[in-house]
Amino acid sequence: MNLFENIRLALEGLRANKMRALLTMLGIIIGIASVMAISTLGSAMTGSVTKTMDKIGGKNIMVSLSPKNYDTQSTLQEDDLITQEELNDFRSTYTDQIKAISFSTGMGSGQLNSGFIHKDVSITGASPDYGLVNNINLVQGRFINERDIDGTRNVIIIDTTLRNSLVGVDGDVIGKEIQVDTKSTNETYTVIGVYEKLVIDNPLFYMGDDTRIECFIPITTAKSLNPDTANQNGYENFTIMATSNTDSAAFALTTKDYFIKGLGPLSDYTIQAESLEAIASEATGMLSTLSLGISVIAGISLLVGGIGVMNIMLVSVTERTKEIGIRKALGARNSAIRSQFIIEAMIICLIGGMIGVGLGSALGIMGSTLMKFPTNPPFLPMIIALCFSMAIGVFFGFYPANKAAKLDPIDALRYE
Amino acid sequence: MMGNKIIEMRGIVKSYYLGTPNELEILHGIDLDVYEGEFLSIVGASGSGKSTLMNILGALDRPTKGHYYLDHLPMENVKDDGLSQIRNKKIGFVFQTFNLIPRSTALKNVALPMLYGGVSRSERSRRATELLQLVEMGGRSHHRPNELSGGQKQRVAIARAMANDPAIILADEPTGALDTHTGRLVMDIFHRLHQEQGKTIILITHNSELAEETQRTIRLRDGSIVENRKNGHYQLEGCYESV
Repeated sequence: MNLFENIRLALEGLRANKMRALLTMLGIIIGIASVMAISTLGSAMTGSVTKTMDKIGGKNIMVSLSPKNYDTQSTLQEDDLITQEELNDFRSTYTDQIKAISFSTGMGSGQLNSGFIHKDVSITGASPDYGLVNNINLVQGRFINERDIDGTRNVIIIDTTLRNSLVGVDGDVIGKEIQVDTKSTNETYTVIGVYEKLVIDNPLFYMGDDTRIECFIPITTAKSLNPDTANQNGYENFTIMATSNTDSAAFALTTKDYFIKGLGPLSDYTIQAESLEAIASEATGMLSTLSLGISVIAGISLLVGGIGVMNIMLVSVTERTKEIGIRKALGARNSAIRSQFIIEAMIICLIGGMIGVGLGSALGIMGSTLMKFPTNPPFLPMIIALCFSMAIGVFFGFYPANKAAKLDPIDALRYE
Repeated sequence: MMGNKIIEMRGIVKSYYLGTPNELEILHGIDLDVYEGEFLSIVGASGSGKSTLMNILGALDRPTKGHYYLDHLPMENVKDDGLSQIRNKKIGFVFQTFNLIPRSTALKNVALPMLYGGVSRSERSRRATELLQLVEMGGRSHHRPNELSGGQKQRVAIARAMANDPAIILADEPTGALDTHTGRLVMDIFHRLHQEQGKTIILITHNSELAEETQRTIRLRDGSIVENRKNGHYQLEGCYESV
């Protein structure tokens, strides 16, 4: 009596009671479908977080000097700043972990004037690696280079929307001179590059429509234009881009330890080093915990479904007492009867599970597409769900099957 | 003394409610020998212990005391699975109420003992078809029991009893639920199986006329054999020992 024969027998049994089998399956279908839908949606969401983080710069570690205590008046001393020498040492110590280091300083907003065109812009002073670290997508020209930095040149990178309003989509803006007025300055810059603004289409990261136009100038130029920083020798903050095989969360701690030593014991300031990856994994961890939690609640309906299967199997065993007696009289062993009923329960659950998996992943994919987290069918959860539904069949089928197997053949034959 | 002793029972006792104040002894030391190729009938009023004896003969039940050899096999100490196997290979049951599986076709019903006996699918189907032809039910092999008359059902049941070529066929009131005419047809099949195939058949009945047709009749009363008689028109000798 092999498995195949048992499956055939079980299918025969189910075919005799199609409606009942379907209703019994319903519990399993609903349970599996809801768990599948939620896990599909959850994995779509966590996947989208990871993807967006990569887009922003998932391997970045933001290092900054920050006051130890925000309540008291803290003043940043000149020797608190991180010097170029310290950075060079740091870089040569961890060459394998560091891909790039970028610096930037905000200059605030200003107004760009070019002919009759006046636009509000915000200006950021950036180092050459800023483009790489912040994933700036140049579509024309070049980004800031070392010579711009050394020469404190008045060059500027603008974004495509600004280019379009200055010279149109097809116009050549490179080399064009534009004037930018900020609170304290009034400078003329030469356009050397155009970048395309990063569009984050993830609703989880939605922070209002960002219509700001950001322009980049060499960090040295920016510093020299600001009276507070004109004579500053060192950095208040920078961003490290870790190499792809570096654990950036761990490297953030290393970085913090490294630079904290450079601060005097009396300094009011400390080093903060935050890795985007750590922030992202915190967010995705929270999301997966949430979806797991909801799945568990949905899983309760699976339990109810399983109890339904057990109930129907018990009814079926009682109904078929005589049949069991006949089979035993004809030489069926207890084990053959037991496996017949267990397999019947398993098949109910497996078919229910398959329908549930189909329904649930369709719902999940539909939901995540509607919420703009495009996702693929989750194959591993599908297989797990199918195995789990079979396990439910075995678990809840065992008791009724064992009851059937243990029936006394004489009593069973006499049963009417 | 001739022939191969296919059943040997010595001092078979069956009691119920063992060890309780209402302990009840149904069979009081039955001695019975059945020879290969014999057509035997067991008669007795209801409550005489017929069914209990049949259950023990058919390996559905164990005696409380005594020895039972089926096809020279001692039946003591055989575990449940062993009894299943003996029922499967050595015994063919024919019941008063047919006991066919209602949602299976005649063919599948006949093939069922072979399924539990581990016979391959194609061989099951081949032999089941053959057996249905033997009982003249070849044309009905794909009908379900509810599409068959009582006599047809019983013929399917006889074919099923023959499936694993058992040592004995145990027929418990096989005509009890049939009218005289169809009962006659069923009895004719038993005679044919006996004569043409040399089957050993034990017929349990309370109908003395049918018992008369068999070679030998055992009469049970209150759990004991009260008569063991060779029937007149059969002239086989040495098939039984006199009481």
